[in-house]
Amino acid sequence: MLLLRHGRILLLLLLVSACAQKLPVDEGRLVIALPGAPVNVDPRVATDAYGEQILQMTHASLVRRNAAGEPVPDLAERWESPDPLTCVFHLRPGLRFHDGRPLTSDDVRYTFSWILDPANRSPHRALYRHIEAIGTPDPRTVVIRLSEPFAPFLSTMVRGIVPAGSPARGYAPPVGAGPYKVDDLSPDGEAVLSAFDAYYGGPPAIRAVTVKFVPDSNVRFLELKMGSVNFVLNGVDPDLLPAASLPGRLAVEEGAGGNVTYLGFNLRDRALSDARVRRAIALAIDREAIVRSIWKGRADLVESILPPGSWAHDASLPPIRFDPARSRRLLDEAGFPDPDGDGPLPRLRLTYKTSQNEVRRRVATVVQEQLRQLGISVEIQSLEWGTFFSDVKKGNFQIYSLTWVGIADPDIFHHAFHSRSAPPDGANRGGYSDAEVDRLTEAARREPSRSIRREKYRRVQRILARDLPVFPLWAGRNLLVRDRRLSGFVLTPDESYAPVRAMRIVPDPSTPASGGRR
Amino acid sequence: MKSYLLGRLLRTVPVVFGVVTIVFLLIHLLPGDPVEIMLGESAIPAQKEELRRELGLDRPVLSQYAAFLAGIPRGDLGVSFRSREPVLREIARRVPATVLLAATSIAVAVFVALPLGVLAAMRRGKPADYLSGFAAMLSLSVPNFLLGPLLVLLFSVQWGLLPVSGYGAGRHLVLPAVTLGTGMAALLTRMVRATLLEELRKEYVTAATARGLPYRSAVALHALRNALVPVVTALGLSFGAVLGGSVITETIFSWPGIGRLLIQAIDARDYPLVQGCVLVIALSTVAMNLATDLLCARLDPRIRYE
Repeated sequence: MLLLRHGRILLLLLLVSACAQKLPVDEGRLVIALPGAPVNVDPRVATDAYGEQILQMTHASLVRRNAAGEPVPDLAERWESPDPLTCVFHLRPGLRFHDGRPLTSDDVRYTFSWILDPANRSPHRALYRHIEAIGTPDPRTVVIRLSEPFAPFLSTMVRGIVPAGSPARGYAPPVGAGPYKVDDLSPDGEAVLSAFDAYYGGPPAIRAVTVKFVPDSNVRFLELKMGSVNFVLNGVDPDLLPAASLPGRLAVEEGAGGNVTYLGFNLRDRALSDARVRRAIALAIDREAIVRSIWKGRADLVESILPPGSWAHDASLPPIRFDPARSRRLLDEAGFPDPDGDGPLPRLRLTYKTSQNEVRRRVATVVQEQLRQLGISVEIQSLEWGTFFSDVKKGNFQIYSLTWVGIADPDIFHHAFHSRSAPPDGANRGGYSDAEVDRLTEAARREPSRSIRREKYRRVQRILARDLPVFPLWAGRNLLVRDRRLSGFVLTPDESYAPVRAMRIVPDPSTPASGGRR
Repeated sequence: MKSYLLGRLLRTVPVVFGVVTIVFLLIHLLPGDPVEIMLGESAIPAQKEELRRELGLDRPVLSQYAAFLAGIPRGDLGVSFRSREPVLREIARRVPATVLLAATSIAVAVFVALPLGVLAAMRRGKPADYLSGFAAMLSLSVPNFLLGPLLVLLFSVQWGLLPVSGYGAGRHLVLPAVTLGTGMAALLTRMVRATLLEELRKEYVTAATARGLPYRSAVALHALRNALVPVVTALGLSFGAVLGGSVITETIFSWPGIGRLLIQAIDARDYPLVQGCVLVIALSTVAMNLATDLLCARLDPRIRYE
């Protein structure tokens, strides 16, 4: 009995001490949770999403992208192209790195020369293969000369600049010129950032940022509920969101997303080589029902793999609406009649490959059922990521489902649909070939005029909507769960963390000033 | 004793060799190309070939295997594809976290299992016995991936007593260690109870109490010590399970140990790192088993190693 009484007192004491603890947001600290740890925080070699996301806060580039994917000034205040092969960048005055060194054209040349040097084996080297020479006539001018016209060039300039002489090994802490500097970075632990007072855009209002690496999605959500994490972008399971948006400390924001999920068809397959069969499959899938039930409405239907926010997106494409009757007619026409009416025999048997992601598997099951109603028997193969992606690249599939992530430029159409872009040279995995698409995508990547490029890509999108080498399904919406007191973050389709620099902490009248944990 | 030790050490060689060989073959059989994972799809084929050559992936698998084996005695486990750092350094950085977690969870298990097991044995058939049996069954039936978030929900979110995740020797350690130690504690509790009950039936306990030794002292000084031999053996054997379980627990609690490193290495098809992690785990399991056998000899002088 005595023990029990003491136990209660002890528990009470612990609870009181816990309630008295301040949350990070009370101390002015932004705590972001990422689903994984970065492999690298070096803009010259980083390829993983988590590394890129930290770099968006710590490093500055010559240009950055706005919400429509267009290049806007960052370190370069302006630029011009005297001819299609030359681009001249003019740096802002008084730029500095985190360690106080001035940032000059030499640092820009060093960064790109390092990436282009084969000895350094940068994974980004292929991206800059069009660069022939980099000139630095004065400390604030960079002249980049290309070997051939390459319109997407400007969008490739979104690459953090590092100080000249930075070694690949021992580039720690990673020094950049972004709004936050890295104070501490422990692999698999967390990254501690602090405001950089000499940032050209002025020091950010939130002085301290911690980036925690939390792989488990339930734990990320629990950290948010507890307040030890106060900012999670696209890291909370949609099923848990109703709990997050209950009146309380947390707020949920939604914005259009830029990652397009699609079904890929193998055009080397006898049945799928017929555009009528591909269209019949597309017409038989009720995308709206899937978005409503699985995505809880948090995805937008798309008709092109180029996300709706992009400057080259064609909004006038006719939507493919669920129409089982027309789908049946198309299959009959294509030579796949139903052999036994309502009987068990299918018109067609197909295999659908997907990764082991839970949401994708649920989508696959719904598609399987919807196609079964039409007489198409679908076998789902849910494979471990490495195995699945290897099969997709080898063309070892009939139908697969994937998501295009981080489409920065409409040149993606050359990468994904040009007849010479079969893996390993590109991502035309289904073996699509169309002379007009080849011609248009080749011309568009050489065309300096944005309006002419846009027109060419619109024509490409109309041809693809006619041929359906892939069936674009939807773009998942970006979801931010944050503490109510954090304001000023602008969601962009590319999930950029760059707007963190514009955030600030405001008092929230609905929350007690201190203490309140839940 | 020395010759026994030497013999045991020699016998670990084929065990470790077998584990390493199987893992080497399995990871190379898995589809997925580390070069493509590293460089991305859009890399130039020549660049991929260059990297493949540099990583030694263009050589026949047998020659890669021979090079890997030749490096082990020198402590050279190769260079991680992902981070380009020596594998041994990558692993060494994660060892303290895993050792801390494993040792604490074993300590949690022992501290819970010993008193509970003894209590259950001494109060056999009484409510305390049934209660401990029920608790053990319940703990064994709840998997780590469920127990971890449940503990977080209760102790972190509901009561705000402990941090949800992260690495540290103090408050951060409690929930992962309890998650990992609970299953083992349940198993050990049942084992302590069973072996102690058997000892309590033996004549030396009756004799000791007949000579006037209080029953509790007879249990604590004589029966418990003898009952511990199988318990210690089970503890040593469960060390491998602790390391295996740490893969899940480390992921739940964002604990930067070898388990998480192994998962990341498999995802990236980082062959040297996978092989290195498995080798270290195999070696430590073998070493733990040897240590257990030696400890048993200390506990029970009748056990002789010749």
